[in-house]
Amino acid sequence: MLEYIAKRTLGAVVSLFIVITLIFLLLRMMPMEGYFGAEYDKLSEETRASMLAEKGLDKPVLTQLVEFYKNLLKGDLGKSWIYRPNYPIAKILEKKIPYSLKIGLISMAVSLLVGIPLGAMMARFKGKLGDKIGTAFIAIVEALPTAVLMLFVQLYFSSWFNLSLLFDKDNPSTWILPILSISLLSICTYAMWMRRYMIDNINMDYVKLARAKGVRGGRIMFLHVFKNAFVPMAQFLPGSVLSTIIGSIYVEHLYSIPGTGGLLIDVIQRQDNTMVQTLVLLYAAIGIIGMFLGDLLMALLDPRISFVKKGDDR
Amino acid sequence: MAAKKPLFNRQMRRISELDANIQAGLAREEAERAKQAEAEIETVDYTPEQIAALDPALFEPAGFNEEDAERTGYSNYSYWASTFKNFWRNKVARVLIIALIAVLLFAFLQPFFPGQHDPVTINNDPETGIQLMNLAPSSEYWFGTNAIGQDLWARVWAGTRVSVFIGLVVALSDLVVGVIIGMIWGYVRKVDKVMTEIYNVISNVPQTLILILVSYILRPSITTIIISMCMVGWMAMARFIRNQVVIFRDRDFNLASRCLGTSTFRIITKNLLPQMVSVIMLQTALAIPGAIGDEVFLTYIGLGLPTSQASLGNLVEAGRVLMMQKELRYQLIFPAAVVAFITIAFYIIGNAFSDAADPKNHV
Amino acid sequence: MENREIILSVKNLNVRFSLRGKSLHAIRGVSLDVFKGESLAIVGESGSGKSVLTKNFIGLLDKNGRIDSGEILYAGMDLAKFTTEKEWAKIRGKKIAMVMQDPMTSLNPLKTIGWQISEALILNRGMKRAEAKAAAIDILRDVGINEPQRRYRQYPHEFSGGMRQRVVIAIAVACGPEILICDEPTTALDVTIQSQILGLIKTLCRKYEMTTIYITHDLGVVANVADRIAVMYAGDIVEIGTADEVFFNPQHPYTWALLSSLPQLGEKGKELYSIKGTPPKLFGVIKGDAFAPRNPQALKIDYLVRPPYFEVSPTHKARTWLLDPRAPKIEPPEIIKRLHDLEQEGKAGEADE
Repeated sequence: MLEYIAKRTLGAVVSLFIVITLIFLLLRMMPMEGYFGAEYDKLSEETRASMLAEKGLDKPVLTQLVEFYKNLLKGDLGKSWIYRPNYPIAKILEKKIPYSLKIGLISMAVSLLVGIPLGAMMARFKGKLGDKIGTAFIAIVEALPTAVLMLFVQLYFSSWFNLSLLFDKDNPSTWILPILSISLLSICTYAMWMRRYMIDNINMDYVKLARAKGVRGGRIMFLHVFKNAFVPMAQFLPGSVLSTIIGSIYVEHLYSIPGTGGLLIDVIQRQDNTMVQTLVLLYAAIGIIGMFLGDLLMALLDPRISFVKKGDDR
Repeated sequence: MAAKKPLFNRQMRRISELDANIQAGLAREEAERAKQAEAEIETVDYTPEQIAALDPALFEPAGFNEEDAERTGYSNYSYWASTFKNFWRNKVARVLIIALIAVLLFAFLQPFFPGQHDPVTINNDPETGIQLMNLAPSSEYWFGTNAIGQDLWARVWAGTRVSVFIGLVVALSDLVVGVIIGMIWGYVRKVDKVMTEIYNVISNVPQTLILILVSYILRPSITTIIISMCMVGWMAMARFIRNQVVIFRDRDFNLASRCLGTSTFRIITKNLLPQMVSVIMLQTALAIPGAIGDEVFLTYIGLGLPTSQASLGNLVEAGRVLMMQKELRYQLIFPAAVVAFITIAFYIIGNAFSDAADPKNHV
Repeated sequence: MENREIILSVKNLNVRFSLRGKSLHAIRGVSLDVFKGESLAIVGESGSGKSVLTKNFIGLLDKNGRIDSGEILYAGMDLAKFTTEKEWAKIRGKKIAMVMQDPMTSLNPLKTIGWQISEALILNRGMKRAEAKAAAIDILRDVGINEPQRRYRQYPHEFSGGMRQRVVIAIAVACGPEILICDEPTTALDVTIQSQILGLIKTLCRKYEMTTIYITHDLGVVANVADRIAVMYAGDIVEIGTADEVFFNPQHPYTWALLSSLPQLGEKGKELYSIKGTPPKLFGVIKGDAFAPRNPQALKIDYLVRPPYFEVSPTHKARTWLLDPRAPKIEPPEIIKRLHDLEQEGKAGEADE
């Protein structure tokens, strides 16, 4: 078991390293304007060259890479040049991250607490009206592009429930729509798969044996079927992390929440290269960590995993 | 009196028809009941009297026909026939696929219909020369006009054409690239090792982020958007195909087929293909709304197509800005409705087809 | 033959399944008496209905199946009339327990085997947790699993196939039932393990005084363990008698065909015998003897009227018109006479040891 965890940790760290390096290299190809802002056209060649040198962008790529890592370990994420000229990125993020983090974590918790029981209920009442409505609902949420979905939620829910569209961190009612929107996709993923796994398990031989030895309905559903279906849910944790990230990009913009998602949209539109790079790295890192946590959770919950190599289909 | 006679005759005829139907119905019920009773009788043994009363001639050998014995076991199962029958039985999928084909066909044929406006032309009022901005839907402009006076109806369909085109190209590329890479990945063991490691690393990075990055670097146009979407999408398909190939290699029923002398071609088409095709189709069907969704996403972030180009993403974004003004909301609703319909239809049809193609559901 | 106590009695049972709108008549008027303490084997091909029959004894019939008519009398109750889980709770485990075919899938992969055995004990014998754990460890020892304390905490995937089946048997025995149904208990196991498992079941049944019902298609298994044999075909019992009677004096052509198919009876160099054709589909009404189309010795009446049981001895009866006095005398196939020879050889071999 420990060996497995150690292996996965190493794998995650290596992935992180490779991804960060790749993104860094990739971003060297970004259009030059991203470092200068509006006056790019007006600047002369020499000025441009000297400004690049100032920012350390004229050195060979490998040197830049090494410096980047050195700074990273010190906690220095570089500076923004357009969004807030000459301002350390770390400071900018400091203020934005708490919002996104809070809303993100709450959304993930909500999606678990709502999605899994929903899926279990749907499996329990398979074929009946509730199940049919649930399936239709899930189909719609999964099919629609997230942007469109968020818009519909904002449009209709705000008018039906008279909720404000402007986020105010002190007013809890303004938290509802953002959290709902972000968690919606994850709720549907959990519900759909929970339902599928429960239905699969209900038909399995070990349930028949349990019934044959006298275990009653409710106990079977919970102790055997539900618990067995719940374990593989851990594999959807990383996906949930991702949808939360993507969701937050939309939602923060829609509801004017001062978080990192809205920031991303902003800096893309303003073409601030360093900020784009840092934010993408940040999200990629979160994604990788999410994957790692998912694997870890699976290993903890399922006793078979340490014994079976991943990717081995026998 | 003469006029009443034909009426009377007609009514009598109708009554006798009815009566005949009722009799036929009753007779049918009677026959069913008799058959049931017979079935019941079959499971009740003859009494000793009945046995004694049996004709001794019946106790002669009946002769044995080997062919008759074998006939009881014929099966006329055809995989594809079963799949399509299953799919067609699903009412929702049936309706949706017809509707979807109709809508898509219309989208591409729309410019050839009479009386259609050009999506790019800015329409000016003929008398005043002022741009006809933000007009509500009317008989002239079925979806109204947008903020600079362009006909929304024409723009919506033009946008549909562009977005669906992008979706189709991306889905196709994912399919082709994914299948080819997946096959090689699965067959050639050396490639397998390397690719699996690469895959593990790349799959850790959220595809959307790669999409953002690549789109940020390449400046927006239809080609670049297609390229950036193609770069990420093939992974899932390749991984899946590779898994199928690996499993396929080792499956017992393939060994059995080879033992029986089945040619490799037949093994591939009869053993491998049915399993793969259903999920390939599902992935492809879902790739199209996925691509449309990605396009909307990129537009939202600001990395989409130039606003002059009509695309569903651009139209939705343009409408979003005006969302809060009730009178102008139609500029969001129409393109959003089209997007919603297309994506939901593809999703449901894709899932329905995959369910229909699953041999477990073929009973 | 002394009058033995009947512990379970099936009277004229009819079971149907609804399959895609059509009705499948799976059990067609079956009557069967099970004696206390005996070891009864129900033999038949796949699709003969042998599993379906016993599933009705614990209410595990598939959802699309129902009992049309008939009775299953046990302990003063009619099991065929049971509808609620509560009623079945009185029977399942405590009175009638089942060992299923595939030990790989019969056990919950995410719970320790000790937990699964204890669950049976707690539910059926009202033990407390600690008491159940101790009892479970005892049972593990009984079924031949070494180091029961350590094994108690292990998961199913840590056991081999044969060991897993022992665990399944342990669970069944833990319930303390009167009747143990073994549905193809050795089919999924290696041949070498098979005899061990069969021996184990035999020992346990004697020790705990259980009545055993075996369901199998393997006549080899049957020869080993059964007191009585019931041969099923197309949802009906076509012949039933003691093991000796059925093996050495079979009367129904289907039994002849089954016995002829034993590979041990084949002669070197000659083609092995196999029954022509396949079992009938049970959707429609079957007129006469269901085996007639595949029976080279069928009589005309076999196609018209279902044969009633003809008694060969107080313990042996068969559903075949060949036993009617008006029918021609037909000898069983040559090949079956070799069974006697094989038995003699076997006995001689044992005497040598």
